[in-house]
Parts: sequence; structure tokens; C-alpha cells
Amino acid sequence: MKRDGWIIPYIKENKKMIGVTIFLGLLTVLSATLLMFTSGYLISKSATKPETILMVYVPIVAVRAFSILRAVLKYVERLLGHQVSLKILSKMRTRLYKVIEPRVLMMESKFQTGDILGTLSDDIERIQDVYLKTIFPCTVGFLFYLVTILVLGSFSWEMAGWVAIYLFILVILFPALSLLVTKKKMLLIKRGRSGLYQVLTDAVLGLSDWVFSGRQSSFIEAYEKEERQLFLLERKLRYFNRVRTFVSQLMVLGLVLIIIFWVADQTELGLLPITFIAAFVLVVFPITEVFLPLSDATSQWTRYQESFNRLEKYSENHNQYHSNRSKRYTNQGDCEKLIGVKNVKLEFNDVSFTYQTGKKALNGASFVVNQGEKLILLGPSGAGKSTILKLIQGVILPQSGKVTLNGISPTSIEGDISQVVSVLNQQPYLFDTTVLNNIRLGNLNATDEEVYWAAKQVELYDMIQSLPQGFDTPLHESGIRFSGGERQRIALARILLQDNPIVILDEPTIGLDPRTERDLLENMFHVLSGKSILFITHHLAGLKPEDKILFIDEGEVVLQGAHAHLLSENKRYQKLTNSLG
Amino acid sequence: MRKELFQYRGIKSFLVVLVIITILQGVAIILQAKYLAEGVTSLFYEGKTSNYVELIVFFTVAFISRYFLSLVKDHLVYRYAEKVTSSLRKSVLSKLFALGPRYAKKQGTGRMVTLIMEGISQLRDYLELFLPKLVAVFILPLMVWVYVFQLDFKSAIVLAVSLPILIVFLILLGVVAKAKANRQWKTYRVLANHFVDSLRGLETLKFLGLSKSHEKSITKVSRDYQKSTMSTLRIAFLSSFALDFFTMLGVATVAVFLGLGLIDGVILLAPALTILILAPEYYLPVRELGSDFHATLNGQEAGKAIQEILAEPLLKREETWGLTPWDEMNQLELKHTNVWKSAEEGPILKDIYLTIKGKKKIGIVGESGAGKSTLIDLLGGFLQATEPTIFLNGKGVQHLQNDAWHQQILYIPQHPYLFLDTLANNIRFYRPTASLEEVKVAAEKAGLTSLIHELANGLEEIIGESGRELSGGQAQRVAIARAFLEERPILLLDEPTAHLDVETELDIKEKMLPLFENKLVILATHRLHWMMEMDELIVLHEGRIVEQGNHDTLMERKGKYYEMQQIQGGQLV
Repeated sequence: MKRDGWIIPYIKENKKMIGVTIFLGLLTVLSATLLMFTSGYLISKSATKPETILMVYVPIVAVRAFSILRAVLKYVERLLGHQVSLKILSKMRTRLYKVIEPRVLMMESKFQTGDILGTLSDDIERIQDVYLKTIFPCTVGFLFYLVTILVLGSFSWEMAGWVAIYLFILVILFPALSLLVTKKKMLLIKRGRSGLYQVLTDAVLGLSDWVFSGRQSSFIEAYEKEERQLFLLERKLRYFNRVRTFVSQLMVLGLVLIIIFWVADQTELGLLPITFIAAFVLVVFPITEVFLPLSDATSQWTRYQESFNRLEKYSENHNQYHSNRSKRYTNQGDCEKLIGVKNVKLEFNDVSFTYQTGKKALNGASFVVNQGEKLILLGPSGAGKSTILKLIQGVILPQSGKVTLNGISPTSIEGDISQVVSVLNQQPYLFDTTVLNNIRLGNLNATDEEVYWAAKQVELYDMIQSLPQGFDTPLHESGIRFSGGERQRIALARILLQDNPIVILDEPTIGLDPRTERDLLENMFHVLSGKSILFITHHLAGLKPEDKILFIDEGEVVLQGAHAHLLSENKRYQKLTNSLG
Repeated sequence: MRKELFQYRGIKSFLVVLVIITILQGVAIILQAKYLAEGVTSLFYEGKTSNYVELIVFFTVAFISRYFLSLVKDHLVYRYAEKVTSSLRKSVLSKLFALGPRYAKKQGTGRMVTLIMEGISQLRDYLELFLPKLVAVFILPLMVWVYVFQLDFKSAIVLAVSLPILIVFLILLGVVAKAKANRQWKTYRVLANHFVDSLRGLETLKFLGLSKSHEKSITKVSRDYQKSTMSTLRIAFLSSFALDFFTMLGVATVAVFLGLGLIDGVILLAPALTILILAPEYYLPVRELGSDFHATLNGQEAGKAIQEILAEPLLKREETWGLTPWDEMNQLELKHTNVWKSAEEGPILKDIYLTIKGKKKIGIVGESGAGKSTLIDLLGGFLQATEPTIFLNGKGVQHLQNDAWHQQILYIPQHPYLFLDTLANNIRFYRPTASLEEVKVAAEKAGLTSLIHELANGLEEIIGESGRELSGGQAQRVAIARAFLEERPILLLDEPTAHLDVETELDIKEKMLPLFENKLVILATHRLHWMMEMDELIVLHEGRIVEQGNHDTLMERKGKYYEMQQIQGGQLV
């Protein structure tokens, strides 16, 4: 089975602990059973009026012992079970991270990369439940079933055989049937839920359209239809569950009756002392209590399936990615030639790149950025600007032409490219730690003073100092919201500490208002002077007359030259700037 | 008990039904124990010749009744919970419609959808689990105890004493666990979120060259998380341990007392067995309530959040008024209008004085936070002024939330919403009866023709979030096509192009301008190139109108508008 990849290895790895947990689980249900058994025996024995209390001394002690044992065992078992599942969770996290880490820059999706990764992390969290809620209880249940049959077998093998067949229905057949029935229903319900979700999203996000169009009533209609459909499905599932519970209880009743009549026969024949009658009858209840929840536990399985599939998909892609990559490597000599060098020349020579989907992203682009120069990449979204970014980072290789840093291909130092090229994108992530630590991520060896220096450079020092906890202010929970501009400045401070010769600014001012945008861009260009800057943008804010512009449209460089020069010479450029000012 | 439970509709009569069923169930439980015990007893003393079969038949009837009643009860509870939550969901939705898009945006649209969907399901689970158990906990132990009491005094004492001890320990340990969890909360939260934080920020880590070494930190933090969780769980599980321990000990103590009583001859076998069978039933409701308690917390929270929305004050109720199609004769005046963000946050629009007569093009400019969107929302009828200072053809009102007004308006926001439907249906959203021909013409005017050719199914292609996703520019074109198809005399636009790249913006603008002809157009933006096309400009700054006039006069004045022009031009003054 495909999803073995996210279960079996972890079971193998934690064989011992899982074994102990299951053993404890078994002991727990055994002591609950024995408590009822000895209680029944104790009372019956007492009813025969033994001469001294010593005759029932053993059952009295046993009853107390089993009661305490059952509580203690259950406590230990639960703790151990959680310990195992947490341990597995930690392993799975590391594994997922290893799978995702090398290819995060390659991910292409209409969703935010961060959101997808968030979903995967939730998946793993959910999967840890598979142990606690499905695997452990089912195994314990099955083992207990065997124990019950064996014990009963020591009284009568024939009876044990019949009970084994009877209980088989409760232990195996019902759970299997539940899984089968609920699986289909749950899938349908899921579809129904997403339909309702869609209608609600339409309501909340398209609210003004509904109001202005005066079509509220047609919305209510669509909504009620979706809801009714979902309710019908859910009702069916609940109905199935309720009836199943009722039938299971009837099965329990049946077992009680079987045992009573069997015990009646046995005592009549003198094969069983009468003091065992109550014990045998009472013990049926705790025994069946172990089997009743199994149907629910197995139908939980459907809930994990999607998470398994998603994780499986990502680890598969991972393997593919690795086989594709075997040709590439990080070249030690090239690394030494580039890293730490303060003077780097970036060159694109007739570079073309087409994605596997057949989408041509770049067609014969050529340009040079010498150390300390600034190049503006201008163009509509989807014109191929981000492809250029990926090429410089060495995550993709051009099909023709050459991308070089001082003559060296970035792919040959891909693992260490972050020591040559810094990137500031639209949404730099700020981590759940202090401001100080967030800035220090640019260079882990930076002293506090260096961090303060970087904060001063990006004009945040005073603002941060004025916070109640200063630089030790945690970012996520302090209730202090950093604005878009401030977040970009924190990220810029990181880049200053990183101190690389080349900085790529990938539309860092999107979503900021013009004043913040202007201030941020001015600050950026000021503090980054001396570094090569590649500024990817789709509008003209922050441009200076002498700036070198590369206008890209549909993968082609359509215009090239200084801002002022283009302004005076080029019609299309004039049209753009004139009408948009 | 819980106050908020009693505000759900029909809960009182439903509780009465629940109480009746539960009492019947209690009777069945007692009879079931009694007849089973008596059956076993007669078998014990008289063997197969006794009337044990008859007693066992009674037992069977009681047993089946008990579980049949519980089947009926579950069914009724489910239906009730479904009814309550379904009507609640409807109320929340209509409330949201009444509150307008501004409220949903403020609360977070994602949060709203999740609350209406997940929150209400959780609330349903809560009602479904909690109600019957709550009723059971008050009725069943008492019934069982009374029955035991008249059978055997000593056992009744044991049961009566053990239950309060159990509850006290349960609460005590719960409090200790909570205190410990609270103490660790900060570190715990950081540890718990570390992984998802790392994954979400992985791209940034990669840019910083830290992603490889971060793997070690993942392993280490996961281990710390494991440790700190376990130390919390060790205490948290103690409360269910106490539950188990006292229940089991209670049963065992009762059994031992009964045994001793039997030896001494103060009690007979049948009642002793009955008590032994009933003892676990006595504790069961409390245990069940305890075990589900945490699972229902989310439902309670969701219930509170929903009640908060429903309690949100609406705009002042005003009599509806009629309006002829907007033309040169109509006039809208704002006379010293103030709008408050909320009672705590103070005014957001201050002393707005504005007269709009007939059809013209009005531009609203200002920096972010100046109040542009607020003014648009006020004109759109989603906000109210503090006083009835809005005069429509001389009639004073406090807000414009009125169907007659709404039907005159077409509103184009920064991000027009695309419904999950065909492109054609999205275009004809405001006029569902429009023919395909009309849709085609509107689409062409909006510059959608090349997109339609690109799509495999043309106008019939499903678009929207989970369908084919359109770019921001394409979405804006769909909104323009809607406006072409449904000619309305008033056009409200809020930042229609701020997020687009220059060339797209230029093209959209070209397509939009013909739409402005012969209409009242009110456009709020910080993209100043639009202002050349406007008849009148209103410059907002910190909630006030600071300048008013056309482009040329305002440029000459060298005031706020001039300063903004300079910033966007890229040069500094």
C-alpha cells in the first residue's frame, strides 16, 4: 500500500514502546474485566455463607487490587501512548522538512507557498492521532478478543468456538462494514461541505454584489439547497451510526443470554460451581465495552486518508526531484572563487527558458550588471521577471544561453548562493521570535551592536527602542502589529547583515501606499549603495532619470535604456509614463 | 448552569422531552439490573427448574427498552441541534448582509466563513453531546441512588460519599493542570508553532541560507515540545485518573461491603447483585460528561462568537423612500457629516460638507487612512452618519441603506469578487436574464475577447477561486463588463487599479472611461492620473475635506493635492 510510507516505518522504529503501550492497554481492560468477575464471584461465594471471612479473603483483596490497577494502568497507558505519538510526530516533522527544504523555491502554485506548507504541517499533526485513536485501540481490541476466547476455552472449547464466531461479528465484521459504508458517505459529505463552503464564501466575499444587485433572495435559495443536501447526507450517516450502536447493543444482549443459558447447563451438569454464575454473566459487560468502540475507531481512518495522500504526493515529487538533480552539484572550486568576493559581475547572455508546461518564460534575454550598478526590471505581471530571479538563484537552468556570476554558473554553487545573492520579496517572513533574533537571521554571528546598526540604517532603531520590550519584543504575540513598511524594513536590515554583493528586490513595495513606498525605496537604495541591485517592479515609482531600465513583456526584452533616455526617445514608454504620471 | 444554553430557541420544551426520556431510561436501567440479578439468583439457588427464564425475558425487555430509548433520544437531540444551528446560520447570514461588507472585512472574511461553517458545526456537536449528558448527570445517578438506598443503606452511603469526592478531585486536578498549562503557555505556544512557523517561512530561510542548518533546530524543538507536552499531560491526565480511580474503588468497596453483608446475613443475594450491577451505572453519566468536556469547548466558544455577531448593532431603522432614476434634477448633500469608526475609536470622517447634483465625475483622493473608502462606504449605504445629515433631494437621513438607492448604484471595488460560476454568468450577475449576445457585446467592450478565445470553453468556462483563476486585471475587466451590461446611473469605484501593473492599468482605464459617460461617477483612488478625467476633485486628509476643485485649480494652489502629485512623480519637493 502506498501510504505505508507514513505509518509502517514509524511502527517499526518504535516497536518496543508501541508493544509496551498495547500490552498496558490489554492489562487495563483485563483488570476492568477481572474486577467485575471477582466481584460477582465474591458476592456469590459470600451468599453461600462460608464459615469464616477468610474464605473470601482472596477475592476481597483481588477486587481492590484490580480496581486500583485498572485506574493506574490506564493512566500509564495513556501517557505512554501520547509519548509514542509525539515521538513519531517529531520524526515526521524532520522528515517533511527534509523533503520540502530543497525544493521550496521550485514550488509553483496559485496559492501562497506558505499556505500549502501550513496545510502539510496540519496533516502531520492530524496523522499523529491515527495511533492514539485507531491503531492502538483496534490492536488492543483484537488481542483482547483472542485472550477472551483462550480463557473461555479453558472451560469449554466448544463454547469458546461459538463465542469466537459470535464476537467475530462485533470485533471484525461491524468495524469493516462501518469503514466501508462510512467511507463513501464521508466522501459525499465532504463534497457537500465544500459546496456549502463555496456558497458561503460567495456570500461573504461577494457581499456588496449581492446587496447592490438586489439578488439576496436568489442567494438564500442557492444556500438552502446546498444546506439541505448536506443535511440529508449527514442525517444518513448519523442514522447509520445510531442503528449500528443499537444493533451492537442487541449483540451484547445476545451474548448475555447465550452465557446465561450455557452457565445454567454447565452448573446443572455440575461442570461449573454455582458461585461462577454471577461472575460469568457480569463479565460480559466490561468485555463487550472494549469491542463496542472499535467500529468508530476504524471509520476514523477515512479522515486521515486525505492527509496521507497529500504527504505521499509531496514525498513522491521529492524523489523525482532528486533523480533530476543528480547531474548537478555544488562545485567546491567555484564556491571558493565566488564566496566572500566583493566584486561580482552578473551576466545574462541570450538566455531562454521554457517551463515544462510549455510556457515560454524568457526568450533571448541579455544584460550585464557590474558591481554597484542598479538595473530595473519593468514589466507586467507574468512577463518573466520571476523566472530571471530563479535563474540567478540557480534553481533552474536556462535551455539556451548563459547566466553567470563572474563567469561562474549559479547552479554550480546553488547550495551557497545565499552567500552571494540576497533577496527581498513581497512578503518576507517574520518568525515567531524577538525582533532582535529576526534581524540577526541575516548573520547569526552578528553582535547586538551590529543588529542595532542595521536597525539604524533602515530607520527603525528609535521605533523599536520605544516599544516596551525594545529589541526583545516578540513578533507574534505582543499585540504590536508591524505595518507593511516596517516589516519590509526589518527584512532589509537582515539583508544588510547578510552583506552580499548582489541584492534582488522582487516587488518589495506591493500593497504599500505611495508615501510609504517612496520612503522605503529611497531608504533601500540609500543603504544598499555599493551593492548591485536588481529591482523587479511593475510600476514606475521610485525611478530616477539615470536608472537603467529593462522592459520585459511576454518573455522578451522589448525596451532597454536609461529612464530619462527612454522618456525622451520611446513612444510606448512615453505613453506609459505620461498617462500614469 | 450555562446561561448561554438557554437562549437557543425551543430549548426549554426540548429539555422537558429529554428529561422524560431520561427518566424512562433510568427506570429501564434499574429494571434491567433487578431482573438480571433475580434471574441469576434463582439460577443460583434453584437451578434450571426455577423461573429464571421468565426473569431473563423481563431483563431482555428492559435492556432493549433502555437502548431503544437511547436511540430515540439521540435521534431527537440530533434533529434539535440541526434545527437550532441551521436557523442560527441563517440569522448570522442575514445579519452579515445587513451589516455590509465593511464588517466582514474588519472581522476578516476568512474568519467569518470559518465561523459560519466550522463554528456552527462545532456548536452543533456541542449541543448534541452536551445536552443529553447534562440532563443525564442530574437524573440518572439520583434515580439509581434512591433505588440502592432502599435496598441497602451501607452501599448507598458509599456511593453518596464517593461521588462528591470524585467531583472535587476532578475539579481540583483540572485547576492544577490548567495553572500549570498557563504557566507554560508562552513557551508551549512557541514550541507548538515552531514547525509551522518554520515551514511558512521556509522560503525566507532559504534566501538567508539558513534552511539546511535549521533542520537541527526542528529536531531539537520537536523534542522540547515533546517534553513539555508530556509534563503537562502527566498532570492533565490525573483528572481522568481520579475519575477512574474513584469509580473503580467505589465499585470495589460496594462489592466488598455487599460480600460482608451477605456473610453476616443482613442482605440477600438478589439485591446485592442488583446493587453491584447498578454501581457502574451510577458513575457513568459523570464519567461521560467529564470525558467530553474538553471536546465541547470549541463549540461553546463558537456559540459565543456567533452571539456576538448577532448582538452587533445595525444601522438605524429608517422608513424606506423612493427615488426616480438619478438625473440632473437629483441632489445629494452632506451637511457637516461625521462618521465614527466605533465608540472607542472616535471619528473617521469629520465635518464633511459636500453637494452632488446631477451627473458628473467626482474624484476622491488622499493618502491611505485619509477616509476615502469610508466616504465610499457611506455613499454606498454601508455606514451611517452620527446625525441625519445626509440630504437626498432635501430629505434628511442618517444612512443610505435603502433598496431604491442601491438599485441605482453599480460598485466596482479594488478586487471585484468572481463567483464560482461560468464567465458568462459572472458577467450577467447583475442582470441574470441577459442574453448571451448581450453578454458578448459587454465582454468585448471590457476587453475580454482575447481571454475568451484563450479559455477552452470560452464564456462557459468556470472561473473563480476553485475554477480557472483570473488575474487582477482580468477580474477588473469582468467588473467592467458587468457595468456595461447593467446600465445604472451611479457608479462607485474604490481603488479600481491600484494593484495592477502600469500597462494593464492603462488599458483598464481606457476601457473604463466610456463607462463614465452620462453617469454620476464617484471614484476614490490614490492613483492621481485618474484625476485628469474628473470634473471635480475632493482631497481628503485625516478624515476632513482639505481641498475641493478641479485638477488645474488645485495644482495652482500648491496645497495637499500638489504635494501628492509631486510624490507620485518621483521627484521631491
